[in-house]
Amino acid sequence: MSNFKVGIRENQNVQVVDLKGYLDAHTAPELEKIFQALIDKKNFNIVVNCRDLNYISSAGLGVFMAYIEDVRKNSGDIKLSNMSAKIYNVFDLLGFPLLYDITSDEAEAIQNFCSKK
Amino acid sequence: MAAVKEKSKNQIKTENAFELTSLFEFSSVVNASLDLKFIFNHFLLTMMGKFLSLKGIVILENRSNIFKTEIAKGIQNDSSKTEWKISKIPKRIIFIDKEDKRRYHWIKDFHTIGITMLIPLIARDRIVGIAGITPGNRTKLTDKETLYIKSIANIAAVAIEKGLFIQELSVVNRQLDRKIQELNTLFEVGKEFNSVLEKNRLIKLLIFSVMGQIGVNRYFLCLEEDDTMNVVAEKLDRKNHADVCEYIPSLTKPMLVSAMTGKTESKWRGLLEDIGIEAVIPLQLQQQTKGLLALGEKLNKDIYTQKDLEFLSSLGNLAMISLDNVRLFNDAIEKQKMEDELIIAREIQKGLLPAILPTIPSFEIAAVNISSKQVGGDYYDVIKLSSKHFVIAIGDVSGKGTPASLLMASLQATIRALVPLGLSLSELTKRVNDLIYENTSNGRFITFFWGILDTESMIFKYVNAGHNPPMLVHVDGSLELLDKGGMILGIINSGISYAEGEVTLKKDDLLVLYTDGVNESMSSENIEFGDERLCSLVTQHRTDDAKTVLNNLVESVKLHSINAAQSDDITIVVLKTKSAKLA
Repeated sequence: MSNFKVGIRENQNVQVVDLKGYLDAHTAPELEKIFQALIDKKNFNIVVNCRDLNYISSAGLGVFMAYIEDVRKNSGDIKLSNMSAKIYNVFDLLGFPLLYDITSDEAEAIQNFCSKK
Repeated sequence: MAAVKEKSKNQIKTENAFELTSLFEFSSVVNASLDLKFIFNHFLLTMMGKFLSLKGIVILENRSNIFKTEIAKGIQNDSSKTEWKISKIPKRIIFIDKEDKRRYHWIKDFHTIGITMLIPLIARDRIVGIAGITPGNRTKLTDKETLYIKSIANIAAVAIEKGLFIQELSVVNRQLDRKIQELNTLFEVGKEFNSVLEKNRLIKLLIFSVMGQIGVNRYFLCLEEDDTMNVVAEKLDRKNHADVCEYIPSLTKPMLVSAMTGKTESKWRGLLEDIGIEAVIPLQLQQQTKGLLALGEKLNKDIYTQKDLEFLSSLGNLAMISLDNVRLFNDAIEKQKMEDELIIAREIQKGLLPAILPTIPSFEIAAVNISSKQVGGDYYDVIKLSSKHFVIAIGDVSGKGTPASLLMASLQATIRALVPLGLSLSELTKRVNDLIYENTSNGRFITFFWGILDTESMIFKYVNAGHNPPMLVHVDGSLELLDKGGMILGIINSGISYAEGEVTLKKDDLLVLYTDGVNESMSSENIEFGDERLCSLVTQHRTDDAKTVLNNLVESVKLHSINAAQSDDITIVVLKTKSAKLA
C-alpha cells in the first residue's frame, strides 16, 4: 500500500534504521513506531541511513524532532547519514544541520558514536 | 634639461604602464569574486597601499540614506560606528575641509575617526557606498591620481553591485525554496488530513508537521469539544495550561507571546511565558476560534517570523476543517446507528403489542399505539383469561429506544407469566414490581395500570401503579378517575403493597385508558393538550361507539400537535359497555 519501507539492522552496537521511499504525513507513523520500539528496548544509539530515501516532508522530519530528546536524555543520539542532495536540501532549509549530526556515510556516523565513548 | 625631460617622460611611461597593469589586475581579481568581503578587502588594501594610508573604511548603503560599515582597517573598534545616516553625497573625491564639514553634516563623523579623504563608489550613476582613507597629510590629488582612483572605485562599485545582486538572489532563492517547501507541506498535509477519519491520528499528523517544519518540540494543542476548551496534546516542561484556556476564544490572530501588550493579554502572556510558550496560533473554523496551537522555543533559538506564523495559521486551519469533517462524519455514523437502533426498537415494540384484540362479550374495545420517531416505551395489552375474564393493561416505560423496548418486553413477559397464577391483582402487581425492579438498571421505571374485567358481574377490579388515571365516563356525563393503587413499578423492591380499586360497569359506560403522550402532546406553540381538554372530549363523545371515540381522540391530538414533532408514543385503549348484564 505505501511506498515507504523501514528496516533495522545492527552495526557495531549501533541500531541502523534504513529508510526507503517516501517519508511523508502518510508514512510518518511507521517511522514513529520504529523509534518507539527502539527506545522501548533501550536502544539509544541510532543511525538513520537515508540512502534510499526519495522524499521527506515536514511530518517526516517531525518524527525526528519528537524522539531526539528522549534519545539524548539517555546519552544516545539519532544521527543521519547518506542523504542525497535533494533530501539534504530539505533538512538544510528547515535548519536541521544545526540540530542533528548529519554525516555523508554510515561508517562516519558510527565512528562518531564510538569516538564519543 | 632635455635629458631630465627625457627621463621623466620614460618615468611617466613606466608609471602609466604600472598603473594600467595594476588597474587590469585589480579588475580581474575583484570581478572574479562574488564574495563581497573579499572585494571590500581587496579594494581597501589597494587604496591604502596606493596612498600609504594607515586607516581605511568602506560603508555601503543598506537602505535609503542609511549606510553600514562593511570593513574598517586601522580604526579602533569603539570609535567606529556601524550605521551612518548620510544624504546628499557629492559625486567627487573629497578631501575633508571646513567647507565640506559645514555643507555635509555627516562628514564630521568621518573626520572624528581620522579619515581625511572620501571616495564615492558609483555604479550605474548611483552611489552604492563610500570609501574613506587617510592619505598622510595630502590635501589634493594630481589629475592622474584622480583618474586612477576613479577607475578603481568604478571597477569596485560595479563588482560590489554585482556581488550584492548575487547575495540578494541567493537569499531570495532560499526564501523561495522554503516557500515551496511550506506549500508542499500544506498540500501534502491537507491531502493526508482529508483521508484520515480518526481524530487522534489527525492531531498527531498536525503536531509532527509543525515540529518538523518549525523545529520545535515543546507545544500544547487545545480544541473546543462540547463547548469547552480541552488540551488534546502536549509536551511541556511545566504545566499550567488550565488557566490559559479561557483566553483562547478571544484570540483571532497568530501572535508572538512577547508581542502581547494589552491589559488582558499581559496576564495571559505571564501564564504562557511561565510554561515556555513563545507563539500562539488560534485555530479557526468559519472565523470562530475553536482551538489553539501553542509552541515553545525553536530548537535553534530563532525567533518566530511573521512567515512562520502565517504558515502555522494555514496549517492549523486546514487541520480544523479536517477535524470538523471527522466530527461530522462521526455524527453521521452515530445518527445512522441510532436510526438502526430505533428500527429495532420499533420492531420489538410492534411485536409486543397485540396484533388482534380479543372479542369481549357485551363490550366494544378499540386500541391504538402511534410510536414517535424516538420510539417511547408505551405498552398495552388485552389478555383473555377465560370466556368471562379479561385483563386490560396499559403502561409507559421510562426512556426511549431499545432499552425502553426491552424493559417493555420483560414487563409483558412478566405479566403473561404471572397472570395464570390466579393471585389477587394487588399481589400480582407486587410481584410484577419485584421482578421489574430486579431487571432494571437504576433510574428506569414503569407507570402501569391494569385491571381484570368480569363480563358476567360487570365488575372491573384494577390496580394503578403511578399511571395516568383512566377515565370512566357514565352515560349521565359524570366521571370517575381510576387512581387506586400505589407506587410506580421498578423503583422500590418488595415491601410495598398495592391497593385494589373496583368499579361496576353500567350500560353505555365508557372507559378510556391512555399514556402521557396524549395529554402531554405539544403544539407548535409549546402548549400542552392538557387533562381538561381530554376530559371534556371524552365526556362529549360518551355516546359514540368505542372506535369513534378512539378516532376522535387521535384526530384531536394530531390536530393539536400539527407542525410539531411527536416526542412521545401515543397509546389509547377505549372500552365501551354495550349492554348491562345483571349477575
